[in-house]
Amino acid sequence: MKKLKKANKHQYWQLYAMMVLPLLYFIIFKYVPMFGNILAFRRYRPGMGPFGTEWVGLRYFKLFFKDAAFWTAFKNTLILSLLNLIINFPIPIIFALFLNEVRNRYFKKFVQTISYMPRFISTVVVIAIVSELLSPSTGILNIIRGKMGLDAIYYMNEPDYFRTIYVLLDTWQYTGWTAIIYLASITSISPDMYEAATIDGANRIQQIFYVTIPTILPTIMVMLILNIGRLLSLGFEKILLLYTPTNSQVSDILDTLVYRTGLANQNYSYATAIGLFTGIIGIILVTSSNSLSKKLTGQSIY
Amino acid sequence: MKTYKTRSTVLFDIIVNLFMIFTIISCLVPFIYIFALSLSSPEAIINNEVFFLPKGLNFEAYKSIFTYPNFFNAYKNTLIYTILGTLISLFLIVLFAYPLSKTYLKGNKVFMKIVVFSMFFTGGLIPNYLLISYLHLTNTRWAMLIPFAINPFNLILMINFFKSISNEIEEAALIDGLNYFGILWKIILPLSQAGLATVGLYTAVFFWNDWFNGLIYLKSSQFPVMLFLRNIVNGTSMVGDAAGAVDKATIGISIKGAVIIVTTLPIIAIYPFLQKYFVKGVMIGSVKG
Repeated sequence: MKKLKKANKHQYWQLYAMMVLPLLYFIIFKYVPMFGNILAFRRYRPGMGPFGTEWVGLRYFKLFFKDAAFWTAFKNTLILSLLNLIINFPIPIIFALFLNEVRNRYFKKFVQTISYMPRFISTVVVIAIVSELLSPSTGILNIIRGKMGLDAIYYMNEPDYFRTIYVLLDTWQYTGWTAIIYLASITSISPDMYEAATIDGANRIQQIFYVTIPTILPTIMVMLILNIGRLLSLGFEKILLLYTPTNSQVSDILDTLVYRTGLANQNYSYATAIGLFTGIIGIILVTSSNSLSKKLTGQSIY
Repeated sequence: MKTYKTRSTVLFDIIVNLFMIFTIISCLVPFIYIFALSLSSPEAIINNEVFFLPKGLNFEAYKSIFTYPNFFNAYKNTLIYTILGTLISLFLIVLFAYPLSKTYLKGNKVFMKIVVFSMFFTGGLIPNYLLISYLHLTNTRWAMLIPFAINPFNLILMINFFKSISNEIEEAALIDGLNYFGILWKIILPLSQAGLATVGLYTAVFFWNDWFNGLIYLKSSQFPVMLFLRNIVNGTSMVGDAAGAVDKATIGISIKGAVIIVTTLPIIAIYPFLQKYFVKGVMIGSVKG
């Protein structure tokens, strides 16, 4: 086989030729914008190209560090991310464990198929449905409240409900999807293990705790570390759609702040500086959680 | 394997099944409710009579959205973005993934690093936006297609898929005098239906659901249908004729419902058929890139 590869070495240029277009794409649309982050250190002038005109050093970083809006957004991002992690990390595991216990094969398959569906739905549709369900005048929740003699609540505008709505929407959209990984790892457990547990007198609930969970623990660990690495990347589009001036005190996150200051107010350099700051924290989180994962579980994502 | 039917396992079975039924209900009920709204009369909606069955059954909402030129146009735009975007995306991904799946190729590691790094660090919103406007892509349909042509995650998925195809078939084809272009086209692609279906589905769903890029890059005649929906939900634009001011809000609700159903149905109808592919795809993709 070695000989053959050598014989075909003169054909390798074809493989390189295939790469030309995609590589150009990567350079222009991935790496030029990365380089474009130098705008965070430079002043932008309209019509003078995307990289700014003169160096201003850390001016924009100093500015946003003094900006109360930045700190609010930073705090909101952290709180929402942590809340999301605490609630939406365990739920798919529980779902996978339970789904695995469903005896009827067809019912199991059916639940699975249905549970994937929300992942394919556009965030716009999700928000449209939710705002219909929660509408103060015609929403089903407020109709029920009305029947009970309670006042209608404008859920979508209330800052108190924003975080709950966001986290529950994530639960709704991604539980079934995320469970795929855990289910795969559960199905790879050898039936012998369960048989041995049964002989030892373990019932099905005990089997979950003494066989299933310990066996999928490495997968759980890797997923946890991955999630910590992605901590700051919230669903920006979803938040943008849920954002209203009245709930802004809790719904303004770093990404929406970048969007507002950058695209709406056209403070390009300022917004780029905030974006770059977020990106760097993100990459620190990813690399450190990855090396932690390597050390603890021997698994890594790159 | 023998299991004993004790009282606790029976109870456990009940809890498990209830949990599953709850899952099904919570996934489906929102759509059933919206579907019921879309078929109900404005009076029934305003009197809060609609729960899960349409009241005052009529198809006015569906009739009217299809006579509404903006909706029709936006739907057409979305079809164009989805079909063209998916084709361009698959083309570029295949062209890159195939050589990258050849680990013996010199420079492979460097190219992989270029790809992986772009997954963890991106240009961010503003540099991307300025690049697109600098390239004069703003207000052109290309702004929806080209900047998102390759999703690195999908690319890695495809690379892993190609790697799983045995090298021997390829070696044989090389002996038979086929070159790499020929091998890719005649041998690898026909063997890659599962991979193409998975990546194709993800890509198509991305383009179908995209609205934000339309919002920042396009003019209204080029808007995708999701942006149209977003605009009627938050009241930026009005739907239908201004028949009666009183009716407007409630006509709006059944029309919103109809738009939701019509824009969501194609995806809901397609994904179950690709399930056996993408479930495998998630697994392949989760393996180290």
